[in-house]
Amino acid sequence: MTNVFGKYVNYNTIIHRADPRLKIFCLIAFMVMCFLPYGNFMNTYAVLLILVLVIATLMIISKLSFLDFFKSLKFMWFMAIFLLIINVFIPYNGKTDLHEMIVFSNGYIIYWEGVMNTFMVLIRLIMMVALTMIFTATTTPMDITYGFEWLLYPLKLLKIPTQVVAMTMSLALRFIPTLLLEANRIMKAQKSRGVDYNRGLISRKIKSITTLIVPLLVSCFSISDDLSLAMNARGYDPYAKRTRYRVLTFKKADLFLIISILILLAGFITISVFANSVGINLLETIFREIPKGSTF
Amino acid sequence: MSEFAIQVKNVDFSYQENEPVLNNISFNIKKGQYVCLIGHNGSGKSTLAKLLVYLIEPMHGEIYINDLLLCEENTKKIRETVGIVFQNPDNQFIGSTVEDDIAFGLENRCVAHENMQKIVREYAEKVDMAKYLEKEPSELSGGQKQRVAIAGILALNLDIIIFDEATSMLDPEGVEEIKRLIFNMRKANPNLTFISITHDVEEAYLSDYVILLNKGNIYKEGTPFEVFENTNDLAELGLDLPFVLKVKKALKEKGMNIPTNIKSIEELSDYLCK
Repeated sequence: MTNVFGKYVNYNTIIHRADPRLKIFCLIAFMVMCFLPYGNFMNTYAVLLILVLVIATLMIISKLSFLDFFKSLKFMWFMAIFLLIINVFIPYNGKTDLHEMIVFSNGYIIYWEGVMNTFMVLIRLIMMVALTMIFTATTTPMDITYGFEWLLYPLKLLKIPTQVVAMTMSLALRFIPTLLLEANRIMKAQKSRGVDYNRGLISRKIKSITTLIVPLLVSCFSISDDLSLAMNARGYDPYAKRTRYRVLTFKKADLFLIISILILLAGFITISVFANSVGINLLETIFREIPKGSTF
Repeated sequence: MSEFAIQVKNVDFSYQENEPVLNNISFNIKKGQYVCLIGHNGSGKSTLAKLLVYLIEPMHGEIYINDLLLCEENTKKIRETVGIVFQNPDNQFIGSTVEDDIAFGLENRCVAHENMQKIVREYAEKVDMAKYLEKEPSELSGGQKQRVAIAGILALNLDIIIFDEATSMLDPEGVEEIKRLIFNMRKANPNLTFISITHDVEEAYLSDYVILLNKGNIYKEGTPFEVFENTNDLAELGLDLPFVLKVKKALKEKGMNIPTNIKSIEELSDYLCK
């Protein structure tokens, strides 16, 4: 549990101090920037490179370790292969201006565009992972909940009890480590009774997992029973008015942050609009000697 | 206002039909006393604790807390009078950090934000957890978590505090810490009525009043000396004798003539040294 990348790490950086509501907004804004279409490949890669640099800077500012980050990307391999298969083998029939990579004897062609598409999506996904991890590593679960609750505020007008949703969320976050510990304990107890979780066929493994899940579910219920009693005894009423121990305050640094994120977002949207509807490509306008179509 | 903090009148309770957990229980607890409810597993101690803080309702009978009848309309006032610390340190830790947990009860009471910070700090210091304010429960020991729970209850400034086997899941060191805390807590506020539900006969022996429960009935009540000295079948109730009385009994069996009014270990050693 201690070395999980993306778990909150207590440093005192600008990003750690920023308002959680603002950080959620920034997260969304950055995701939009990552997924905006930027025209042809050359153009998109250029813009994505800028974004990668920006995100890397954010990682450095929030004192995250790059090593841990790359370690946590292990699961992306599966994703990468899956994306490659999908993108390479979808037929590009009817499209012109494609570049052949491999031509099979039966007439099937693998295009460079497929490979380029794969990498483009992959880079975007990795950026998403990085952004989310920057967010969770710099914001305490409690602050995430408060930020989330604040963003849900409009739902209150529809008489949806957002404070209950937020309390549920914060309790769920609070009990993740407790339940992990419990699962570990049950696993050890079952191992001592001869259950083998590591070896055997898949069907056997699934069977042995039930010996973990059933007791875990039971203790989940007993924990929530205890918890509800404890909350009740301390006077919790989900629908009553409560005051807050933590109050979110908007600081001057946050104003600076929101202005810069808005400028950044506006900039990237402008590039996207120009690249697509007006037809001007960023690189081609800057370096006029690159002729159209030589993107690859 | 009567002199009693708690009055229990003919209370019955059962979770399932025909299996009564508590059977026509009546007792009174005076204000400012340290009362121990002891009994074997399944004697209905914890159920009684839940009844006293109005987490469950008695089937028959009435419970008064500071002359306030426990019923639906009085829930809010009850919560402002009586608090409970449960057995499992993990399952009653509500906030995601120490300070959030201490503040939880205060938030429910709508204490203003500025006061809350002060109160949380003050009570964290009282239970010696001021250094750990920003720690998460997974980083704390059982004793520390229990101390946080106690701080959360103390911060509410209640008249009656109940410990439902609050030390039974702790290591000996944690138990000692909690016992010290109880001592300080009672010294700081002599009006506090403190009810401890326990297996620990040594703890019960040091209290002001003992109520001995067996199978949903009150088997015996009185001062600890009365209860332990005059009960010959404690072993059958699943309880042990306190150490002093054990020694006295053993010496008597060896033929020594020990006066019956010796109560504490000091008195006993003084007598033996004569």
